[in-house]
Amino acid sequence: MTYLVVAYVFAIVVLGGYLAWSLRRVRELSRRQ
Amino acid sequence: MTRYEQAAAGAVALMLVAAGFIFLFAPTDALQGPVQRIFYLHVSSAIAAYGCFGVVLIGGIGYLWKESAAADRLARAAALVGLVFTTVTLIMGMIWAKPIWNTFWTWDARLTSTLVLWIIYAGYLMVRRLAEPGRQAARFAAVVGIFGFIDVPVVHFSVTWWRTVHPGPVVINDALPPEMLIAFLITMACTLVLAAVMIAIRYRIEYLMDQAAERIVAAPIAAPSEAGSAR
Repeated sequence: MTYLVVAYVFAIVVLGGYLAWSLRRVRELSRRQ
Repeated sequence: MTRYEQAAAGAVALMLVAAGFIFLFAPTDALQGPVQRIFYLHVSSAIAAYGCFGVVLIGGIGYLWKESAAADRLARAAALVGLVFTTVTLIMGMIWAKPIWNTFWTWDARLTSTLVLWIIYAGYLMVRRLAEPGRQAARFAAVVGIFGFIDVPVVHFSVTWWRTVHPGPVVINDALPPEMLIAFLITMACTLVLAAVMIAIRYRIEYLMDQAAERIVAAPIAAPSEAGSAR
């Protein structure tokens, strides 16, 4: 069970983190324009 | 809320639906127990990565053929997203391997070829970052992206071409019970939507960055008298 939780927490952190970071980057770059 | 944020929210909602199918609908594997549920996102991420690298291939061909900046941007965007999904595939696979194979890593054909795939596209992105932006860098990256794609079928067929510890294809071989198959197909569809949204957002970032770079190049250089007075 621990391995299952660790695997999905990792996936959520990587995919969710990447998605949040890219949305922030779009907002920053759009504001600069 | 921008349309990118709306698309991202939609993709996250779909992933939550997929999570419902993985944890509530799919039955627990009789042999491996709950840890087998790693399968759904592990395999879906691998397929999403294949798709992203396919987009890099198309973008690369498009750039070499028509010198289209949009094709180059698309390739750049898909390479990064593909690398993110390959990372998820590799790490989730390693975590799954520990309780089943009693090791995180083995130099098996599938694992090794996937690691090589990761290195190829990490190299592709490094080329983009280190090279002077322009036609030469885009051409070189397009060639790396096209030849790099050769590893995708190698990864996919490694389990049938060589004797490996990694399980063979379960979907094509009809090895999944119907509930597991439904959960897998839904997770795969939702992951592909997430990958497409990520590529679209990254494409926008690349576009805005290109625009900013063009503005810097096009900015008028201060006249010598102005520069002197500024000093």
